[in-house]
Amino acid sequence: MIFMKKRFIISAIITITAFAFVQSTVITNGPAAKATLGRLLFSDPILSKDHTISCASCHKPRFAFADTSAVSKGVAGKKGTRNTPTAMNLLLSNSFFWDGRAGTLEEQALAPIENPKEMNLSLDEALHRLKDNEKYNGYFKEIFNSEPTKENLGAAIAAFERTLETSDSPFDNWKFSNDSTAVSSAVRRGFVVFNAKGKCVQCHFGADLTANEFRNIGLFNGKNLDDSGRSVITGKAGDIGKFKTPSLRNIAITAPYMHNGLFKTLEQVIDFYNDTKKIVPNAINKDSLLEKPLGLTKQEKTDLKAFLISLTDKRFRN
Amino acid sequence: MKILFLSFTLLFFFTPNDTLTGRWESRPSEKGNVTGVFFKPDHSLEGYVNKKPFTTGTYDFDPKDSIISFVDNGCNGVRAVYKILFFSNSDSLRFRAISDSCTERKNGMERLILGRVK
Repeated sequence: MIFMKKRFIISAIITITAFAFVQSTVITNGPAAKATLGRLLFSDPILSKDHTISCASCHKPRFAFADTSAVSKGVAGKKGTRNTPTAMNLLLSNSFFWDGRAGTLEEQALAPIENPKEMNLSLDEALHRLKDNEKYNGYFKEIFNSEPTKENLGAAIAAFERTLETSDSPFDNWKFSNDSTAVSSAVRRGFVVFNAKGKCVQCHFGADLTANEFRNIGLFNGKNLDDSGRSVITGKAGDIGKFKTPSLRNIAITAPYMHNGLFKTLEQVIDFYNDTKKIVPNAINKDSLLEKPLGLTKQEKTDLKAFLISLTDKRFRN
Repeated sequence: MKILFLSFTLLFFFTPNDTLTGRWESRPSEKGNVTGVFFKPDHSLEGYVNKKPFTTGTYDFDPKDSIISFVDNGCNGVRAVYKILFFSNSDSLRFRAISDSCTERKNGMERLILGRVK
C-alpha cells in the first residue's frame, strides 16, 4: 500500500513537472511570441523549395546574421548577385536591401522566399506548407488567431528580426555608459579620424552608424562593376551605382564588405576609401565626398580599424 | 581655514552649476524608441537612441538665459544655439532654435521633449 502511494506521488510529480515544462515552452500570444515564432521560421528550411535553405543559411547568427561569402548560395547552389547584409540592428531603418526596394521589414522578410536565386518558393506554396504543418498551423492560430497568411508570416519573421539589436560594444560602454576604460587610446584616436579626416561620419552618422541614405562610393564603372543599384528601383539616372549605407555595428565580423563583397578585410576597405581611384580608376557617378584622397597615415588607418573593431557587441567577442 | 577654502573651491567646480547637467530621456515613441542626451559636467555631450550613441559633441550653457550653444559630429561642425525651455519643476525640457543652419538636426531638436533621468 505504501509502495503504491509512493508510486502515485512520483507519477504526480512527474506529470506536474512535465505540464509546467510544456506550458513554459508553448508559444503564447504577444509580441514576444511573434518573435519566437519568427525565430523558428528564420531557421527552418521549410520555406525553401528543396527544403535546404533557411534565412539563417545566409544570415548566419555567428557572424552577426551576415554571410562570410562574397555572395550567398541559394537553392540548387544558385549564386546571388549581392553580399548578404546583416539582419541585425534594423529597428531604426526605413528601407531594406542594398537598393532599398522594401519599405518595411515585413516586406523584406518575404522577398527572399520567392527570389529564384535564394529560396525559390512561391508564397502560396510556403503558406500551404505551413498550413499542412501541424506545429506551425497551431502556432499561427494561437498567436494571430488565423491560419498562416502572407501578412502574419512577414510579421512573425520581422518581429524576430526586430529583436536582433545590439548595444553592448566597447564603443557603447564608452559613450553611453561613460566608462572611460572601455576603449583603448587607439579607439579614441580612431573615432577622431572617423569624425574628421576620414569623413566616415558624413555617411555613417546615427545610432547604428548609418545615415540610412543611398550613396555611390565608386564601385560602379559600367564594365566589370555593373550593378546599377538604387537606380533600378527609382528609375533615376542620378541613382546609378548608389547603394544603402550599411550599419557599422559588428562590422569586424561581417566580412566580406561592400554590396558585392569585393573587400575581404577592413584594411582593404580603409585603403579603398583612402584613395578610391587607386582601386577603381574609372568609376561613374561617384559621390563628390570621395573625389579627393583622404591622405590617411599608417597610424590613422590602424586607429580607424581599432575604432571599427570596438563596434563589436559583447556577445560576439571572445 | 585652508581646508574650508579648498572645499568651497572644489564644490564650486564639481557641483553642477546649472539645471542641465545629467542624463535626459524622451518617453518611448510610438515605435518604442527612446532618445536621450547626457550633458556631462566637463561640457561634453552624448546623444543616444535606445542606449546606442548617435552623436557626440561639446556644449556651453548659460543658466541665466537657459541658452545652450553646441557643436556635434553630425552637422559638419556647424554650431547650434538653442533656448532651453524647462518645465515641470525643471524636470522636463524642450528646445527652441535660436540659430541652427543644420535643418535635419533642427527638425529633430524641436520635436524633442526630454525628462530628467533620476
